[in-house]
Amino acid sequence: MLKLKHATYVLLGTALFYASCSSKSEQAVAPTIANEQLTSAYLKLTNEANASDTTSCRYRFHLDNNGNVKSTDSTALVIKANAKYDVKVVMLDTTQSPTFTVSDEIKQRQNYHLFFFQPTPISSANLVIGTSSPYISGTVTSATGPYLNLAVARTDLDTNTPPLQVGLTDLFTTGAASTGNLRLVLRHQPNAKNGLYAPGSSDLDVNFKVTIK
Amino acid sequence: MRITILFILLLIGTNLSYGQNTGFTLSGKVKDAATKTPLSQATVSVTGTSTGTHSDSTGFYKLVIPAGIHKIRFEFVGYATIDTVLNVNTNIKLNVSLKPSDQFLKEVQVKSTAEVRKTIETQSLTVLQGTELERTRGLSLGESLKSITGVTTFQTGPSIAKPIIHGLYSNRILILNNGVRLEAQQWGSEHAPEIDPFIANRIEVIKGAAGIRYGSDAIAGVILAEPKALPTTPGTMDGEVNAVGMSNSRLGAFSAMVEGALGKKLEGFSYRIQGSYKRAGNTSTPNYILGNTGLSENDFSAALQYYHKNYGVETYYSNFNTKLGILAGTEVGSIADLKARIQETVPTTPADFTYTIDRPYQTVNHATAKVRGFYNFDDGSKLQIQYAYQTNKRSEYDLLSYSTSLNPSLYLKINTSTADINFDQKPIGGLTGSIGVSGMNQGNVRMYQYLIPNFVDYDGGAYIIERYRYKKLLFEAGIRYDYRWLKAYRFNDTVAKIEATTTHYQSSSSTLGATYNITSDLSLSGNFGSAFRAPTVNELYSNGVHQTLISYEVGDPNLKTERASNFSLNLNYQSHRVAIDLQGYYNNINNFIFLQPTGQYTRVQSGSLLMFDYTQANVFFRGIDLGVIVKPLDSLEINSKTSLIYAYNKTIHDYLIYTPPMRLQNGVTYHFGSLGAFKNLVLGAENVFVAKQTKVPANQDYAPPPGAYSLYNAHLGFRLIINHTYAAIDLSVNNLTNVAYKDYLDRFRYFANEPGRNIIFRLRVPFSILQNNK
Repeated sequence: MLKLKHATYVLLGTALFYASCSSKSEQAVAPTIANEQLTSAYLKLTNEANASDTTSCRYRFHLDNNGNVKSTDSTALVIKANAKYDVKVVMLDTTQSPTFTVSDEIKQRQNYHLFFFQPTPISSANLVIGTSSPYISGTVTSATGPYLNLAVARTDLDTNTPPLQVGLTDLFTTGAASTGNLRLVLRHQPNAKNGLYAPGSSDLDVNFKVTIK
Repeated sequence: MRITILFILLLIGTNLSYGQNTGFTLSGKVKDAATKTPLSQATVSVTGTSTGTHSDSTGFYKLVIPAGIHKIRFEFVGYATIDTVLNVNTNIKLNVSLKPSDQFLKEVQVKSTAEVRKTIETQSLTVLQGTELERTRGLSLGESLKSITGVTTFQTGPSIAKPIIHGLYSNRILILNNGVRLEAQQWGSEHAPEIDPFIANRIEVIKGAAGIRYGSDAIAGVILAEPKALPTTPGTMDGEVNAVGMSNSRLGAFSAMVEGALGKKLEGFSYRIQGSYKRAGNTSTPNYILGNTGLSENDFSAALQYYHKNYGVETYYSNFNTKLGILAGTEVGSIADLKARIQETVPTTPADFTYTIDRPYQTVNHATAKVRGFYNFDDGSKLQIQYAYQTNKRSEYDLLSYSTSLNPSLYLKINTSTADINFDQKPIGGLTGSIGVSGMNQGNVRMYQYLIPNFVDYDGGAYIIERYRYKKLLFEAGIRYDYRWLKAYRFNDTVAKIEATTTHYQSSSSTLGATYNITSDLSLSGNFGSAFRAPTVNELYSNGVHQTLISYEVGDPNLKTERASNFSLNLNYQSHRVAIDLQGYYNNINNFIFLQPTGQYTRVQSGSLLMFDYTQANVFFRGIDLGVIVKPLDSLEINSKTSLIYAYNKTIHDYLIYTPPMRLQNGVTYHFGSLGAFKNLVLGAENVFVAKQTKVPANQDYAPPPGAYSLYNAHLGFRLIINHTYAAIDLSVNNLTNVAYKDYLDRFRYFANEPGRNIIFRLRVPFSILQNNK
């Protein structure tokens, strides 16, 4: 019976020991850190006819402390009609210090990534869809105008065999004055990139307001 | 043979823990198998001892034998001798039918009824053990239990399976690993139980609200994974080796165990050391390979026990380690991506076979240490004290687009200490019962992304269960009180400081039941169980994207406790030719907590996600589990299992999502007996039919439920005698016809088919190292 009592004390003592010393680490809340966090995307444009004519637009995500998107804001893109622009896509993670340039990392992994550009609204008449086009198939078309008169072509290639486009640099060709949206999508297609939209999943999917005048 | 084994093993009933007292009675009748006439003067002996007796003129025999594992021999001149191994820890009634020895011994009829000591006697208890359990070796715990009526799995691809009992899963089921309540992050629908099924030699499933004995939360049921009792014969050392190979996923699983009881001066000490290793690569469906579905697992356990006349101490340690690949292509970023995946008939990303596991994957480590002591008082009462400490570390690695980070996206570490004291009172007339208290303390720490907060919780409970046996009737009643104190620590970004929120929950659980043994073959039980479950931290404080479900989940800190009222009625009939187990149940749950789609979308970088809120409603689950075994011939067994379930949300007048559809399992087994070198040769085939779930709530799912499916499985089992020991070999083919199908309760049905044909080889070799080395 004595042994039983001893056993009871030992067990209860151990229980109390653990109970009393276990709450310190829980009170210190570790910061929320995501492995990947995109906070802003820019399109930086340079007029081919005039190198000093530059413009850009920006899409920004504001995050809460849990890393969830709290709100977003964006600036519009205003470009000239009947012009050609060289375009560069820049993406940042501003939660890191110093700011982390995501687009540089995308360049490193260009064989797994593909950008798509979709001007909207579009008409069925001027719809351009093909394996070499950066447009997103399945976008709703409208029979009546007005349409955003913008054509986009990717100008860079990856190192796949045969090489496939990437879209970190592009050529925008504008037509007559018009307004609309430009949807920018970055597809992540590990071991599956084939030039098409379908494989993989989206890393970024944003819309910029565009005015061509 | 299975019915035989089932009945023998029923006897092996309770884990031997107490009962080193004077001994138990083994009694029954010896009959002629064909004519059923009683055999008088048949010899019944305990092998290796001088204990023995002869049956009387009515065939009746009675023996008093000490607790422990004994080999009992039944002999009668001109008849084939029967040897059976019994784990004696209760009074046993064993009827034996002997066959004339000139007849080819195909099958022996052993039927017995044991006074199985159940914690809640009037509730349905299903035991998976013996050959039935052996034929699940290599599978996960969840998958192993699928042959039980009313039990199925909630899956996340081929590598992750959680058990479902009567339509409920996760926190609503308690899982006990060698008597320790498994505490991990079990709220997650893709968090599989951290248990190595090789540890268990019997798995018990209690269907229904069983919170009374094992603690609140068990409103759907309890699963007990029980290792074999440690050996007690001094100076012995035994071992067992298991090997499993599967053609699909090219799985290899190995398990080895050594156990023994020390002799000489160390008599009373016994031990066991066990380890398992499992490795699998990508699983194949009939038409394509599922990328990144490999898994690896390595587990270790050790037990040391000291037994004296009336007290004993047992220590146990187990360590479970796993790495689980998550199907490639399932980490979608938006509703649009998911819809595109659902439209695909074949994954756009082709995969080849490999054992390599890439991101996304999970790693989980679960360590359990336990000390248990017991004391048997002279008056027949028993005291048991148990303390256990568990650490569960879970890391979830997300698919990375551009980062070179090696960090997980989520890391959760939860430490749990549990202490339990149980006292079984001495029997007073027909009255027996137990009283106990239990306590638990948990601490959870998170890192990287936010899914659930840090928290500390304290739980305490006390219970009393009493039962009264009067002639053919057994009454049972019990009540329990539980209290939970929960403090969550979160960073509040609006005020930029750590905020602590304390909540407490308290309630009572109760049970009331009766069993009427109409005849020795037929019994009827009714049970009412009332149990509650306090909301878990994820239900209270989740706020963010749940990966792979691509749902944005929002918790509600004001959730109340769930209250289940479970009524069940059990009819059990067992005779030589027919065994029927019928259970009907109605489980009403008030304030049932579930995730409801809000119809609203939230913006993330990769697109939009559907938002889900944790909400409460009054719901009910009702259903029927029916198991029938018919033996038209001694060597032929036909069995049929039916699970029907209906779930309804009374608050919004709609069905409940993820309710298992009707499931039918029909099988036939033929026992050849011995054919040359092949002993215990068994050939079986079964059909598993799962209906389409048509009763689904409107607008709550990304895709409609998949259609019905019908699978054929076959198996061939036998034993080979090698050098005084045997090797048990089982060859099975699952999904024989290579049917491409989807299961409603697999969250990855949006993305892929279920596995195709799988040929499985299982080998089990028990062996003896030392005998009587006193």
